[in-house]
Amino acid sequence: MIILAAPAGNIPYLFAAFIICWAVFFGYVFFTSRQQRELDRRMTELREGLEREGRSREGS
Amino acid sequence: MAAAGLLMLANTYLIFMWAPTEATLGHVQRILYIHVPMAWLAFFAFFVVFVGSVMYLWKRQRRWDALASSAAELGVLFTTLVLITGPIWAKPVWGVWWTWDARLTTTLVLWLIYVGYLMLRSYGVNRSQGALYSAVLGIVGFVDVPIVYFAVDWWRTQHQRLVIGGATLEGNLHPDMRTTLFFSLASFTLLFLVLLWQRVSMKRTETELEALEGSQELMGGRSV
Amino acid sequence: MRGVKGLLWPVFLVARKDLLVEFRSREVVIGSAVFAVTLVVIFNFALNITPETVDILAPGVLWAAFSFAGVLAMSRAFVTEKDQGSLEGLLLTPVSRDSIYFGKMLALFIFMTAVEAALLPVFAVLFDFSAFSPTLVGAVLLATLGFAAVGTLFSAVAVNTRSREIMLPILFFPVVSPVIIGAVEATTGAIGAGVSAAGPGRWLQLMAVFDAVFLVLCPWLFSLIMEE
Repeated sequence: MIILAAPAGNIPYLFAAFIICWAVFFGYVFFTSRQQRELDRRMTELREGLEREGRSREGS
Repeated sequence: MAAAGLLMLANTYLIFMWAPTEATLGHVQRILYIHVPMAWLAFFAFFVVFVGSVMYLWKRQRRWDALASSAAELGVLFTTLVLITGPIWAKPVWGVWWTWDARLTTTLVLWLIYVGYLMLRSYGVNRSQGALYSAVLGIVGFVDVPIVYFAVDWWRTQHQRLVIGGATLEGNLHPDMRTTLFFSLASFTLLFLVLLWQRVSMKRTETELEALEGSQELMGGRSV
Repeated sequence: MRGVKGLLWPVFLVARKDLLVEFRSREVVIGSAVFAVTLVVIFNFALNITPETVDILAPGVLWAAFSFAGVLAMSRAFVTEKDQGSLEGLLLTPVSRDSIYFGKMLALFIFMTAVEAALLPVFAVLFDFSAFSPTLVGAVLLATLGFAAVGTLFSAVAVNTRSREIMLPILFFPVVSPVIIGAVEATTGAIGAGVSAAGPGRWLQLMAVFDAVFLVLCPWLFSLIMEE
């Protein structure tokens, strides 16, 4: 087996791997939380719409 | 979510501080502690896709499709990271970024199949059709994996161009390394399950929302 | 006897319908054959094929051309049905979903085999190998059967997506990669380049296993997606 780099010399590779992994995970969590916010927004809109409708029905 | 985050932090501490440094490979060997668990979980995710797809075709309930598609998303995410960390490990150790060996090639083919799965979902005409078609691919893809592996394995043994020494990822492991690896596997599994649960419940909320919005539009139409 | 005939007759009828349409226009067979020759010319430029390297490169070029031409043929399999709305008509007839699948698959298999049979002598001349060894014929038939089994299912899926020309090859190639490997290796053994140490027999077996698995799985999945 050929070892090209001295054991201490390959630390940049290690950090690169971990940084990429964490970046991808955070990116994914960010992406899902944005979708979650979108869902929450639709939920509030729906609730407000229903309340408005309920009020108008009581009024009539 | 918080528990998974804490466990991942503890995991990072173990990987960098506690696990002994590999004598011949040096620090880069620590990639193993994230690479191997992610690879196992990716395969597990595709197994979940298969189960979800079979159940969806059988029961035709949206929740099985939500499970299968969420697992496919996470499986592609993990496989992508496996395909990124693998070459980063291989370059300093083997001297090349990539080699067409059986495991690497199978992983790449697997990744392509499930990227196709996700594309098929987003290009479908409507949701139930997308669910149906992707369930078909979820089954075909999973059945195909062992055949791909055998084919590539036989093919490699016939075209050995690059001889790789004994430095496989799971070589002889020190007990402490083994402990770290299993701790890492446990924390990645928890992370996977948390993310999976989150995605599935999000898709369920979306389904309910769509149904409610639909009925609200109907009611609005009647009142006018 | 009547049972077997009752099962096979609708398959034959569905396949005959496709073949008759094709006899009239000939666009699938001629189109993909010409496309395959074009590919060979491109590979010749890309790989700089010389008499020394032809034995090593010819099987790969052959199967790259066959599989791309095959995708072209199968992308048409459901397009006319879809565009003319004849699939709905076909689904309304008292023919089982399995018969539709096997009929479409048989037609596709015949188209692809016709293209390959026409091209093999051309390749044999261009690359200077004997086209008619039994191993090569076996490899062509087994690989084409595998292509047709998976391709019929996937073209039925892809035709209903928004970008069907893109989706079919993306779905098709990764799944059939074992067949492509097997076909290339068996062909290498058959034309005597001597790389294949274990002999082509094992590769023919691999393709036979693939064909058997997907000839069971694909009709079942096809009947499920054609329910609505």
